[in-house]
Amino acid sequence: MAAVAGPLAGVRILDLSDERGIFAGKLLADLGADVVRVEPPGGDPLRRRGPFIERDAGDDGGTEDAKDAGHAEPVSLWHAFYASNRRPVTIDAASEAGREQLRGLCLEADAVLDCGTLAAAGLSIEELVSAKPDLVAVDVSSFGPDGPWRDLRAPDLVASALGGFAATTGDADTQPLKAFGDMTRVTAGLYAAIAILAGLRHARERGEGQRIDVPVHTAVASCLEHVLMFFWHQEGRVLKRQGSLHWSGAYEVMPVPGGHIMVTITPSLERNLVWLVEDGAHQDLFDEQYQQPENLALLIPRIMQVFREWVATKELPSFFFDAQERHYPYGWVLTPDEVAGNPHLAERDWWSRYPAGQEADPEAALGPGTPYQFSDTPWVPPGPAAETVTGTVDGSGRTVEAMFDEIGWGP
Amino acid sequence: MSEAGALPLDGIRVLDFTHVLAGPFATRIMGDLGADVVKVTSMARPGNVPGNAYYTMWNRNKRSLALDMSDELARETCRALCERADVVIENFAVGVLDRWGVGYDVVREANPGVVYVAMSGMGSEGPWSHFVTYAPTIHALAGLTYLTGVPDHDPIGIGVSHNDHIAGLHATVATLAALEGRRRTGRGQRIDLSQFEVGVSLAGPALLDYSANERIARPGGNTLPYDVAAPHDCYPCAGDDRWVAIAVMNDAQWRALRSVMGEPSWASDARYDEASGRVADRATLDARVSEWTSRHETEAVQSLCQAAGVPAGVVQTGADMVERDPQFAHLGFFTTTDSGADEPPVPVDALPLRFSATPVTQYRAPRALGADNAAVLDEWIGMDEADVRAGEQSGAYR
Repeated sequence: MAAVAGPLAGVRILDLSDERGIFAGKLLADLGADVVRVEPPGGDPLRRRGPFIERDAGDDGGTEDAKDAGHAEPVSLWHAFYASNRRPVTIDAASEAGREQLRGLCLEADAVLDCGTLAAAGLSIEELVSAKPDLVAVDVSSFGPDGPWRDLRAPDLVASALGGFAATTGDADTQPLKAFGDMTRVTAGLYAAIAILAGLRHARERGEGQRIDVPVHTAVASCLEHVLMFFWHQEGRVLKRQGSLHWSGAYEVMPVPGGHIMVTITPSLERNLVWLVEDGAHQDLFDEQYQQPENLALLIPRIMQVFREWVATKELPSFFFDAQERHYPYGWVLTPDEVAGNPHLAERDWWSRYPAGQEADPEAALGPGTPYQFSDTPWVPPGPAAETVTGTVDGSGRTVEAMFDEIGWGP
Repeated sequence: MSEAGALPLDGIRVLDFTHVLAGPFATRIMGDLGADVVKVTSMARPGNVPGNAYYTMWNRNKRSLALDMSDELARETCRALCERADVVIENFAVGVLDRWGVGYDVVREANPGVVYVAMSGMGSEGPWSHFVTYAPTIHALAGLTYLTGVPDHDPIGIGVSHNDHIAGLHATVATLAALEGRRRTGRGQRIDLSQFEVGVSLAGPALLDYSANERIARPGGNTLPYDVAAPHDCYPCAGDDRWVAIAVMNDAQWRALRSVMGEPSWASDARYDEASGRVADRATLDARVSEWTSRHETEAVQSLCQAAGVPAGVVQTGADMVERDPQFAHLGFFTTTDSGADEPPVPVDALPLRFSATPVTQYRAPRALGADNAAVLDEWIGMDEADVRAGEQSGAYR
């Protein structure tokens, strides 16, 4: 049954992605597209990524006990999040009949989200697009379909390093860091969703489909804010890692009794100094040496130093809320449990239940909703996991037509 | 292939009120994809303007229209432009466009097909909706500053304004989805994006883990919180502050790395045969791997490891990316703007999407403020050039 709500209701997408592209499938499915996700016999390998729901954990912590008690497969919360609103179909793409079913599904889809699965199954995207001329086929790969690095392996950490992200994250006394989570995958997934929607528009307007390649490598490199700007516009400058200190020098995380806060002098230096002056904490900031415009490079680090001493006399959380009342864009450094308890998100009723099984589960874990609200066609909250439709697996011999009947696709 | 130069968003008109990064990044992508993006700015507003490097980075493939929104004629013209727009997009604080007389209700009344995108920090409703945020603010509030770091260290966080990019990408997805929905319903709608929620979404599985298991994710350097994988870190190489990332994801890759390192005796320790043993002794293992990497150049470690099937990559700086990365060169990722007779080409990073039928190859440099007043006002609302010039004289279109 196709989803009925969301701006993409009625759009058919075949999701063949691995972790590099799966976020695109989530974005489109949550916006109402009918997204069928193909899994190999034995299940989607991404169902085996943690974190897992720890059920029936006894005093001894018993994951093994839980398995013995019949919960053979732990339920992946990673999968529940990234594979939300998908309809799973099991196909053995290594078999001749399975390949035929896979091809059949492609030809009934508006768009295919691939990560090399079609090529591995011996199917050619170009052939599919010529068989269905308005098909949009997006392939997310680590480095693109050709070139000297085509076959390099790049999990999230390596993609962060080669893509230019890690070099700028970390501190002078630490190694370069990747971001927490799946940042390079999220970035590529967002671009892949854009590729599908842009490709669909062209197909609707001109009846012409196409292949669109999304290399993770370039996707990551396009989201580096100052890195390329420094290199191109500041004579090849490379900024070393400097902890929480922003490249402009004007934002930094500082300790405050009760925690940490990100303090800044943007957008208005004058306005941001008012509070400091009210408190009589401005020290020598108004000395002659700092007043010349050419001495801004001296003034900013001195302000941050004075700020550091000043904020140490404050207390969280009141300091954060008082700052925001003054329209200072300070940021209280929150931990995940504090984020989960955020009153603004609670008031917006933003969290969504992610059922991790096929029953409507009142105990379902809470996770992020969509970061945008549509006035007329709201998003589709994650529903209970759909029953897996089984295609041809291990020679079980179902026809393409039978599978289409079951999932409601078909000519 | 399509007729030369056809692009996926040909014919889509975007009226762009965004500034700084999150919004301009979204409209940069729309412009790359062929939309007619008209960026509305004013000489009366200080800040990011053409000529500034930051502005140059995010405002290619857009036309520039100057409107001084404190002027009644400018506001009237703005309303007329909104009536012709497919997309109106802004990332001001909540309420600014309402004060200018082009709030959603006004625009929709005259233009029911409009997709009207607001990209505020916190979303338009809720107790924190008036909070002022930049990307570092969002990173802090969303848990990203806490989570990206190393144990027993002051918070570090992400070294670029990453959430601005991610918010821009989300805004583009949402805009294109609403345009697709309009094809079916005939109506546009309002999209209320929250940059805070964009940031919180990045930790999705960790937040589900907290909800289901009350387990709180912590900063762990380059370790993976939910996988058993080691060695998995950035390691120092020969040279000044040169690093390589090595990510051994399974036991076969460990055996391959051992071989690449020349089967050192420490690595043959049976405890290291399985991932759990390597993770348990991570500190020693990382120190040993560092001793090996320190003797080699970054590129050598990458190519030796990759040839053996071990994921590894140079921690590339901007200089590495532009001057040495052969894959970016192969993909043509770094190119330049199309230069006019009197303007030098500006370096750009290409749209990272490769379309077979509608390739994106044109990157027009950012335009001087108001440089497209006459063309835009003529094409969008049929204004005579004389009226445009009169408005410029009076200060409305400046």
